[in-house]
Amino acid sequence: MDLSTIIGIVLGSALLGGAIILGGNAIIFLDVKSIMIVLGGTLSGTMVKYKLKSLAKIPALVKIAFVEQEMNSDRIIEILVGLAEKARREGLLALEQDVMEIDDSFLQKGIQLVIDGTDPERVKTIMETQLISMEERHLAGRSIFDTMGQFAPAFGMIGTLIGLIQMLSDLDDPGNLGSGMAVALITTLYGALFANLFFIPMAGKLKIRSEEEVLLKEVVIKGILSIQDGENPRILKEKLFAFLNKKEKEKKEKDRSEVEGVAANESA
Amino acid sequence: MIKVTKMNQQEVVLNAELIECIQATPDTIITLTTDKKILVLEKVDEVVEKIIAYRRQVYASNFSERVEAG
Repeated sequence: MDLSTIIGIVLGSALLGGAIILGGNAIIFLDVKSIMIVLGGTLSGTMVKYKLKSLAKIPALVKIAFVEQEMNSDRIIEILVGLAEKARREGLLALEQDVMEIDDSFLQKGIQLVIDGTDPERVKTIMETQLISMEERHLAGRSIFDTMGQFAPAFGMIGTLIGLIQMLSDLDDPGNLGSGMAVALITTLYGALFANLFFIPMAGKLKIRSEEEVLLKEVVIKGILSIQDGENPRILKEKLFAFLNKKEKEKKEKDRSEVEGVAANESA
Repeated sequence: MIKVTKMNQQEVVLNAELIECIQATPDTIITLTTDKKILVLEKVDEVVEKIIAYRRQVYASNFSERVEAG
């Protein structure tokens, strides 16, 4: 269970809902028409943009954002070192039995390639290609949420226009002006809310998950090539941990320069 | 040129001049001077014997030809 996703959504809803309730009349904020315009519009726009097959993945993607990654780097390195030790003692073909029991399908495929006697360069190419296509699948998945994050405020605006048009076409009754205006703004509120509390953050979390998975798979590739090389398992362990450290440092550098870039833009 | 069997049961003829080193890990890995690595089913000693046999064959025939030429 990824607590931060759940806590974030619950906390956000609670705080905003609470602020609204504390402000007085909360019922006016619930408007079915506005939900129809914003959510309905967002979904419709997304359906026009994406194929049905891609949209069917949405529930699975939501689940990914809520569930913590099962395989972590320490476990993967442990498994790889274990396999390396066995291969050093009994030869690569001894791994034939272990292949079936490996949890991770990527690792399993890689070891199977090695046992089948595939050339080391071939193994590397095949696995890197698989990694790249996985990355692209992830990108396609989270672009759906990015799109919804763009459409929601836009349809909120459309709702506002609809509300204003309805309001202005009936100026005879000034009593309705105020409430009409309020309704017009509710759609913008819904649009911005859905975009910023759900769609855009979901896209962000999926990106983080994707980066985690890519890193793990890079570790697996390094490990498998090293096993095929007959490298000393202890050296393999050091190598993999050093690789992880290096990647983490690079990521921190990138994050820091991104933040600095944004700050520089804002001050300029 | 020595005939070896790769790990995928495929037979291949390897240029013995390019061999840099042969390791038992315990599977036999032949590292070439081109930095390519080839995994073979033969044991290290077998590969060494094949290389020696190949060289003997090449130089032996050279030698006997030269003797005949005079």
